[in-house]
Amino acid sequence: MPRSTANSNRAQHCGAEAHHLSRRSFLGTVGMGTAGVAANMGVIETLTSPVFADELKRNQKSVVLLWLAGGASQLETWDPKPGVETGGPYSAIQTDISGVRISELMPKMSQRLSQHTAIIRSLNTKIADHGGGYQLMDTGRRPEPGVDFPHLGAMIAHELAQQDSKVPDHIEMYTSTEGRRKGTAGFLPARYNPMFLTDSMMPENISRLDSISDADHKQRADFRAMLAQQFNHGLNSPSVSSHNSAFERVRGLMSSDYLFDVEKEPQSMRDHYGPTQFGEQCLIARRLVEAGVPFVKVARAWWDSHGQNFETHRELCADLDHVMSALLDDLQQRGLLDTTLVITLGEFGRTPRINGSLGRDHFASAWSCSLSGCGIKPGTVYGKTDDLGNTVVEGEANAGNLFATIFTALGIDPEKEYMLGSRPVPMADFHCPPIAEVLS
Amino acid sequence: MSLRSIRSIPSSNLTKLMTRRILTRGSCIACCVLISSLSAGQDLLPPETSIATTIDHYVDARLQEENVEAAPSIDDAAFLRRLSLDLNGRIPTRQELNNFLAMDTATRRQDAIEAFLSQVDFVFHQANEIDLLLLARIREDREWREFLLQAVKDRTSWSNLFTQIMLPEVTHPGETAPGAYLRERVRELDDLTNDTAVLFFGVNISCAKCHDHPLVPDWEQDHYFGMASFFKRTYQTKSKLLAEHFTGDVKFTNVVGEEKQAAFMFLNGQAAEEPKIELSDEKRKNLDEAIQKAKKEDDAKAPEVEFSPREELVRLALEGDSHDFFARNIVNRIWARLIGRGLVTPLDQMHSDNPPSHPALLDWLTRDLKQHDYDLKRLIAGIVGSEVYARSCRWESESAVPEPSLFAVGVVRPLNPRQLALSLQIASTSGDRLPGLDKGEDWEKQRADLENRAARFANQFPIPEDGFQVGTDEALFFSNSQQFEGEFLRTSDDRLVGELKKIEDSVELIQTLVSTVYSRSAQEEEQQAMRTYLESATDDASREDKIQQLVWALLASPEFRFNH
Repeated sequence: MPRSTANSNRAQHCGAEAHHLSRRSFLGTVGMGTAGVAANMGVIETLTSPVFADELKRNQKSVVLLWLAGGASQLETWDPKPGVETGGPYSAIQTDISGVRISELMPKMSQRLSQHTAIIRSLNTKIADHGGGYQLMDTGRRPEPGVDFPHLGAMIAHELAQQDSKVPDHIEMYTSTEGRRKGTAGFLPARYNPMFLTDSMMPENISRLDSISDADHKQRADFRAMLAQQFNHGLNSPSVSSHNSAFERVRGLMSSDYLFDVEKEPQSMRDHYGPTQFGEQCLIARRLVEAGVPFVKVARAWWDSHGQNFETHRELCADLDHVMSALLDDLQQRGLLDTTLVITLGEFGRTPRINGSLGRDHFASAWSCSLSGCGIKPGTVYGKTDDLGNTVVEGEANAGNLFATIFTALGIDPEKEYMLGSRPVPMADFHCPPIAEVLS
Repeated sequence: MSLRSIRSIPSSNLTKLMTRRILTRGSCIACCVLISSLSAGQDLLPPETSIATTIDHYVDARLQEENVEAAPSIDDAAFLRRLSLDLNGRIPTRQELNNFLAMDTATRRQDAIEAFLSQVDFVFHQANEIDLLLLARIREDREWREFLLQAVKDRTSWSNLFTQIMLPEVTHPGETAPGAYLRERVRELDDLTNDTAVLFFGVNISCAKCHDHPLVPDWEQDHYFGMASFFKRTYQTKSKLLAEHFTGDVKFTNVVGEEKQAAFMFLNGQAAEEPKIELSDEKRKNLDEAIQKAKKEDDAKAPEVEFSPREELVRLALEGDSHDFFARNIVNRIWARLIGRGLVTPLDQMHSDNPPSHPALLDWLTRDLKQHDYDLKRLIAGIVGSEVYARSCRWESESAVPEPSLFAVGVVRPLNPRQLALSLQIASTSGDRLPGLDKGEDWEKQRADLENRAARFANQFPIPEDGFQVGTDEALFFSNSQQFEGEFLRTSDDRLVGELKKIEDSVELIQTLVSTVYSRSAQEEEQQAMRTYLESATDDASREDKIQQLVWALLASPEFRFNH
């Protein structure tokens, strides 16, 4: 019996032997050509072996950003202060980290922190309007007139995407109209602009029209490519090259339309994520990262509870708690969580002070976010706010620090610089080191 | 003579007028000039020299210095396409191409330039370009576009247009159209300040807001806040007109924490001084109320003010040495638009640490523009008549590609949204529907119709900036959009596909196709390839499909997408 088959059989039962099948030997086998592959049926089997398939996937890292649009209250999520005048009616519950409590509105996550998640409680980002807060938390730095900074999704796509990838690099799902803003590539190439899904979960223009057959669609695309190639000689134009690159990606993007079709998932999986739109979108997000999409943002609106903060959060937190837990469990089970970073973040937090409408207003001086998965040390809580939640007393962090942390967790150097003409633009803003305490 | 009749005043008189008004109010503070406008001790070509000759002279001089040979000129058909895109804002029609190729070879390029400049297409395109420059968005603002169209038709000087745009309430009282530029930014002082500096003066001083510019010694906080102070008092009334408060100064904190009040200082250090006017408490109260009323009520008129910072800005920008920011910027921008790269690049970094590639040329063109009353049409005509303009974009020689600043090779430029949408319309329309260079009387109406139809699609395309890259959504739009297919690949008689399917001879069909979409004749190799593609059809229905697919392939190719 060929050695590789024996190994692949063992791989079904435990991971240890499979690790002996080095990448090199696998690639060596493949390099033998079709004859070699056909003769060596073991290779084909290893491709279907979940552990071995993971070996290949593990090189592709991804980010799922759960965007809490409108600004979620840290007091009703990650940093509760029950029993004081700013605490509100909800209590705090013990988590699976000794000495750490989070809001009772997040019971499922409370039992998962030690496995997956780090909480940062000490964000002080100063900008408390929706537009400015979004700009700051999505680019990691203050805006400057005349410079178009790339957004997080574009930066991640730029760093992590495979050059000839058949799947999109950067997807954003934003179905509600409140606070809807598109993360752009800024000064990075336009290919890193997001596929922006609003009304429908299916991207626009991704399906072939009925009026043309698949064969003809391909044939005319090939003809176009031939004309383009002839045109290109002697030109040294990156713009013209980008035109060809964009068209080259069309067929691949079209063939990834199935990724957006949630009906391809078994009912049990759909039930696991639950019946809400947010749940469905996160299930699609998992499908996308599983297929190698480097960045998916799912926006859940509208957390901007200037009035009725507690009712609003009861509903929204229930959704977030359930869906986030489902997503983390699912990613872990598929062996994807080690290479996927899941972030919860918004424009800002909410005031400890409760206003006359039982609401909390915008507040950027002491608020929270969470990081789970790739490169993160689970079970950590970084930073402290005072008893009422009005100020940060320990571990103050800004947007730049958060971005540096995100990049480091993914194995990207936060000090790596883009050159804008002769001006260096580091990935994370100057003088903003990552938060080492939450990194594994 | 009041400022209200500014529309018809040549700029030299305008300057005198403004100066007279200001002198009656008090003298201005002259600060030291930081930028010298003319290269010291440079002998420029005489002013009678033609623009085209001057351009070629200075560019060739540098090429010789560097021992670089320029790329050859493009052929006549390619020239027509490039010229048409740059003057008409669209590809030529097939008729225009045929008429052009039938003209006398010795003079036809110059004839085409003259013909295009006298057509209504030029007016539309020039207005579109100004719109794109100043507002940078594709949105329907009918009265603003009509205002621009009229200004271009009247051959309004750039200085005059600048005055109208900066002082709409003075030059067009009660009219909202010219206020579009200010209105777009009136809520954000930083945008108004920096955009004006960038678009009208070629300087991006935004870094200087927080501290003296770290890299550019010319720009200090004083300059940033000096510019801001001209706009600080501007507000918008309920009826969308612009006006100014009677008070309001800009204060800023420098890096050592001292609070300073900004002077009304222009970029060259020249400042305007506000005369001290004592207002009684009652007068002050009345003015405040009138302003509040104007902001809230549709019919309430904004009170006029004695001292207008924006008027001071226009005066300082157009007089004496400071003319040169204003003039140099527009010369550089028009050059960049037509040639593909500025004499100063980036376009918003005109300062002493970033000299032009051809200082004498920029000086000469600036002097020429000023001497001819900021006539942009003359400048454009001159540039497109030069050899530099007609240079090929292909570098076929074995030697290394020359440095871009030498202008030895042409620059490939993406079509902007309106150019692309209009060209798609023209390329997909049956030849007999579109007249040639000999325009019929109703071409203006046809052009206006084309603009309207194109506007729907123009929204789909991005406005190109430096380092333009095509995104996948554009490729998907071309490939799979119902809207695209329905508009450009229709088989009806009025469409190219409809026209082509009636042509039995493959060779003739292909020639018609290529000349319509690419504005040139088909080459041997591509003729072959297209014939093979076409003739693989098994029946009539299949042949129609093949025709559609060929039309698509040409429309979706980079040769169509770019100006080259």
